[in-house]
Order: sequence, then structure tokens, then C-alpha cells
Amino acid sequence: MLPRLGGMTDAAHDPATPDTVVPPPEPARPSGASALLIRGLRKSFGAKVAVEDLDLDVPTGSFYGLVGPNGAGKTTTLSMATGLLRPDAGTIEVLGTDVWRNTVKAKSLVGVLSDGIALFDRLTGEQLITYHGLLHGMDRETVAQRTGELLDLLDLRSAGGTLVVDYSAGMTKKIALGAALVHAPRLLVLDEPFESVDPVSAANIRDLLAGYVRGGGTVIVSSHSMDLVQRMCDHVAIIGSGRLLAAGTTDEVRAGSTLEDRFVELVGGRHHSEGPTWLRTS
Amino acid sequence: MVAHLLRLRFRLLLNSFTRSTWTLVSAIIGAAWGLFILVGLVAGMIALSYAEPVWVWTVSVLAGGAAVLGWIVVPLLLRGVDQSLSVDKLRIFPLPPRRLLVALLVVGLLGVPGLVTLTAGLSTTLSWLGHPVGLVAAPLAAVLGVLTCVTASRAFESVGASLAAGRRYREVMGVLVFVPLLLLGPIIGVAGSSLATISNDLPDIARTMSWTPLGAAWSIPGDLVLRRNGEALAKTGIALATLAVFVLLWRRSLAVLLVTPPRASGGSGSAKGLGPFAWYPATPTGAVAARTTVYWLRDPRYGGSLIMLPLLAVIAVFLASTGSDWFLAALGPVIAATLAITLCAEVSYDGTAFATHLSTGVSGVADRVGRVITLGLLSVPLVGVATVVPLLVLDRGEQIPALLGIGFGLLLTGFGVSSVASARFLLPVPAAGESPFKTPPGSTFTSQLGMYAAWLIVFGLAIPELALGIAAIALGSVVLGVAALLVGIIAGSIVMVVGIRQGGALLERRGPELLASLMRARGA
Repeated sequence: MLPRLGGMTDAAHDPATPDTVVPPPEPARPSGASALLIRGLRKSFGAKVAVEDLDLDVPTGSFYGLVGPNGAGKTTTLSMATGLLRPDAGTIEVLGTDVWRNTVKAKSLVGVLSDGIALFDRLTGEQLITYHGLLHGMDRETVAQRTGELLDLLDLRSAGGTLVVDYSAGMTKKIALGAALVHAPRLLVLDEPFESVDPVSAANIRDLLAGYVRGGGTVIVSSHSMDLVQRMCDHVAIIGSGRLLAAGTTDEVRAGSTLEDRFVELVGGRHHSEGPTWLRTS
Repeated sequence: MVAHLLRLRFRLLLNSFTRSTWTLVSAIIGAAWGLFILVGLVAGMIALSYAEPVWVWTVSVLAGGAAVLGWIVVPLLLRGVDQSLSVDKLRIFPLPPRRLLVALLVVGLLGVPGLVTLTAGLSTTLSWLGHPVGLVAAPLAAVLGVLTCVTASRAFESVGASLAAGRRYREVMGVLVFVPLLLLGPIIGVAGSSLATISNDLPDIARTMSWTPLGAAWSIPGDLVLRRNGEALAKTGIALATLAVFVLLWRRSLAVLLVTPPRASGGSGSAKGLGPFAWYPATPTGAVAARTTVYWLRDPRYGGSLIMLPLLAVIAVFLASTGSDWFLAALGPVIAATLAITLCAEVSYDGTAFATHLSTGVSGVADRVGRVITLGLLSVPLVGVATVVPLLVLDRGEQIPALLGIGFGLLLTGFGVSSVASARFLLPVPAAGESPFKTPPGSTFTSQLGMYAAWLIVFGLAIPELALGIAAIALGSVVLGVAALLVGIIAGSIVMVVGIRQGGALLERRGPELLASLMRARGA
């Protein structure tokens, strides 16, 4: 049984119930198999090593944050975990299914929002979500129903007939999220889902994701916003230069201080200066 | 600031070369070709100096006028030819419009096309070797003419840029402006047939053109040599006024562009419904077919390739009117051969959006079949009509089966071959939203070679129906013609099915590698 998109059905069928109360992230929710299990992952582009011997465990039912500086290998790792980029070495399992051996089954379990990858943007928003649903082999009625609900949920109903190419950056992110959700995946892999999304939509998306996790789904989010990750995620991993620097529940990783301080401490590279003197106006 | 922008321009040019060896190689070939043309031009000018002054004048006015026209039209057609210093990118800097105008003018002059035009213009001096007056006036007139070229080009471009804010408008225009250009061939053909009579009219044409902004500057030295001093003065006035008008126009639109950020065209929010997604069965294959149908309708890169077809028809009719009707009779197979390999570019057109197919785990065969269905629905009737109608008009009904056999054979074989080819290698194509006729960097050699190889394989695999069809026409045998039709459909279908299977398997195997090269192609 696929997990219900909790927030989705609530909001669609019972508008009286405001779905805004997000419970604080619960620490460590141990459960059976890992939603995502990475062992010895390695990838290099020419001479540049992007990911080096990376191990990662994402427990089922967790809201997992993946943070790291620019070029740390977050996108590369997530691309390999979702079957978009072939690793040089290592194994990746999604809910016990090897991504690179049983590709089709693994892909049916995962919903992907990639950063920096184009959509079929000459389709309207409605057509795009429908397209993703049909590609997953769903029947027409289910696709139509879920497309409608997703458009409502993402505040894109009025823009459903507009070509995606004419969307703003934030709307494009939202429609891509809708396309990633339509087949009710067990694991959601979201690369920078909140970039250029307005605060109201971001809050709606957070509710949606929290509801999804409550319904048994697993979310992996990569982000640059430490505050957001600290508030939203119950688990977090810090990646730097293609290696895992720290991983665990958010509280374990931040170890008393804020996630941002801990991140800077682990990653390094912080300058202590007040900037050039000519930049001071007084 | 002028020097600064100029340095930036050359730095950008050099950096674009270092991105790949092939760009460098094609740039060197292009430069060698340009030099070759220039040398030929200079030699021609020296040769021209022995001709009558009237002819020297005629040639310089016509060629100069064509140059100005070219400078105006080409950038409008190939929107984004050189956007490295577009106003969009310079908008954030505090640049006064006047100095920016001077800088862009110099950059335009010292770019590759600018230098070529300048050299060519100055070389007109050589054609006046025997006439001191012309020798003095020609370089000045040439500079005036080249300045007109650059300012006219920039003025029209920036006026166009401030007009063409809407995406839809740009896309439609990008295709439409090519229609007259494509029809230029037949027009020149018609004109060429009466070239003998037209060559007598050339001085008259030049005479008219010399009074227009296009030819005025180029006419000045000739007028002086031919002792039409009054006319020379008047044309100097026209040329200077033209330059002034273009500069003013450019400056105005530049000032506007500098404070007008690009606005996204607000698409209509009306419920368009699912469109083609409701027409096809709700399966992955049907979805791919529906999506490609939408793209054939909406993406100018797909529709743009169809613009060749009416052109072929026009050429066929034109050739038939001159007495040789073989091309009109063979129109169906020719169109089939053209359409057969359009699928080769499909995955390249998808760009990184191909990741959708990869991440949804859609089967390779469904991907291939979906794309073939759309093109099939479009091309099978087209080839049928293009075969049957001309043959009926030519009253050669007995050849219909043979030529239909060849046409359908080529088409179906092409579907199979390009299903494999597009999973095997990528073609450098313009990105979504770019002009469909823009030549993307690196689209040299290797890709052309791949296209021709695909074509060769199509013809090689279609030899049975080709042979039967040709034999049927040569012997006038209807029986052989029907055999060709049957063989064409059956053999073609077999190749198509095998190709789709192989291509699908290849796509599943190489999907991640294809995506990786698609991302590289987009510089991601």
C-alpha cells in the first residue's frame, strides 16, 4: 500500500481543517529498512572527484536534510540515488531495491525534483503533471484526480492552463514538485525545493511534506538554508568535498549549537573580516 | 569604457573557443573561408578597375546595398547570433546610453562580420585604380557605408528587441521570416532564367537603389567619377541623414531598453484542457505521443523543420513548369526521405527535460513508439498526398504504387534507423526557446556525418523497394509497382519494429550517459 499523500487529501476534501499545525520534528524514529541506503558511493568527472566513498542511511519515515557547501556533491549524490547518473562504484538501495540493478522498480518508488534540469516546459502545468503520471503507467482517472488535487494544493489551479515556460521560477519549482508527487512515491528526493519559492507557498509545501512523512513517506531535501533544515528535518547529513562529514538526527548533529554554526565548524572556510574598508560608508 | 567592452568581447570570443576543440577547428575553418572570400573580393575589385566606370559603380551600389540589407536582416533572422554583449547583460551597469552606443558601435565594427565588411568596403577603393577622384572618395564612402551597416543592424535589432517581448511573437516570427528567404531560391531561379535580359537592367536597378538609404553611400565615388557632382552631393546628404536617423533610432531604443527589464509574457490562464493528452490512450506510449504532438504544434524547432516541405513543393512545381517534371513526380519519396530522419534529433530537442523519461522509468520502447506515432500520423498522409496528387496531375497514375512503395519504404525504414540513431548519439541543436535556425556551437562535422550516415543506412536498408520501384517505373510495369508497394510496407515495417526494439533497449542501457551528455551540451 502506497502512503497516502496526507496533506493532499486533507486539504482537498476537508477545507474546514486547517492543515497548518506542523508538529515539531520528532527525533530518531527507528523503523525497519532504510528508505535510502548508500554504501561506498564514488563518482568522478575527469580528474575531479565529486563524491568519494560516501555512506548514507536514510531511515524510512524520516524527514532528511542534506546540506553542504556549493560543489560538495549533493546534487551528484542525489542524481545517482535516483537513477539519473551512473556511479563509478558503490551500491544504492531504495527500500531494499538496488537502484542500478532493478532500475524500473526503484524508480517507481521514488519521486524526484532535480535542480538545474529542464522540464517539458511547452506543456501547460496540468499537462505536465498528467504527463508524469501517465509515464508512470497510471490510469487516466487517477491521473486526472491527482492532477487536480495537486494543482489546488500548490496554488497553481489558475495557472494550470498556462505553459510552464511562462511560469515564474517559484511556480516552476512548485509544478516540478507536483510532477514528482503524482505517482505517490514512497521516497521523495528534492534538490533545492524551496529556492525562489515565496514564503506562503514554501509554508504550504512544508505542510504537504510534513503530512507526507506522517503518512509513512520519506523525504530527502537538499538545501542551503540551515534554519529551514533545522526547523523542518528530523535527520540531517552534512556533506563536504564529496564526503560525509556528519549524519544523524538533527539534534545529534547540531550537538547543542545551531545547525548553521555546526555546519560552518565542520565545513570550514569561514573568513573573519569585516570586508574591505572602502565598503564602509561611514 | 569602449576599450573595456572591446576587450570583454574578444575575451568572450576566445573563451568560447577554448570550450571545445571542435569549436576551435570550425572557427579556424570559418576564418580561412572568410579570408579566402576576402582575397577573392580584392582580386575581383582589381579586375573590376579595368571595366567601364558605369559597371564599377553598378557593382558597388548593388553589392553595398545588399550588404546593408544583410546586416539588417540576418540578426533579425538569427536572433541571438551574437548576444554576448546584449543590452540585457549590460543593463545592471551604470552606463550612459551615449557612451554605450559608441562602445557597441566600435565592438560591432571590430567584430568578425564588421571587419569583413570593412575590408570589403575599403577594397572598393581598388576598383577605382584608374580614377583619382574615385580613389580618394571611395574609402570615405566605404567607411560611411559600413557605419550605416552597423548602426542599421543595431537599430533594427534593438527596436525589434523592445517590440518582441512576447515569447509567442518571437517564436512565430523566427519561423515566418524564413519563408521568403527559403523561397529566394526559386525566385532567383526565375530571375536567373532571364539573366541575360536583366543584366541590361542592372544599371537602372542600381540607379534606383543609389537614391535609397541602402545604396546612397556606395554610390558617391561612382557619381564623382562619372561627373555627376550634384548627384554625389545629394547622395552624401542622403547617406549622412540615413546614418543620423539610425543612430538616433538606436540611441532612443537603447535608452528605453536600458531601463526596461525583460518581462515575462503573461500567458493566457484560460483552461486549455489536456489537449492531445485526451486524444491518445492513457498509456506511457500514448503520453509520449501526446507530448510530442504538443511539441510539434508549439515548439518552433519542430515546426521549423516542416518549413522545408512547402519549399520542396514549390521547387518541384517550378521545375515542372520549366519542362522537367521528374522532381514533381518523385516529390513523395523526396519528402519521405527528408522526414525519415527528423526523429534523429528528438532526444537532443528534449534537452535535459529527457530526465523526466529517465526518472519515471518509462520503457525505452514506449519512448520510441510514442515518438514514431506522432511523426507517423503527420508524415504518412503527407507522403501519400505528395505522391498521389502530383502523379494524378501529371497523368501518370500507373506509377503511384511504385512511388508509394519507395516513399513508405523510406519513411518506415527511417523511423527504425532514427529510433536507434537518436538513442546512440546526440545532435547539437538549438536549445528550447532559441531560434530554430540558429546553428549551435559544435554543430560541425561529427553531427553532420552522423546525419549522413543515418541517411545512407536508410537508403541501404530500403534497397529492395527502391530497386523494385525503379524497375517498375523503368519497365512501366504495374505488377512490379504493386510488388514495390508491398515490399516497401512489409520490409519497412520490419526495419521499424527492429529499430524501435533495438533503440528502446539502447535507450534504457545508455539513458544516464545520454542525460550526462545532454547536460554537458547545455553547459550545466
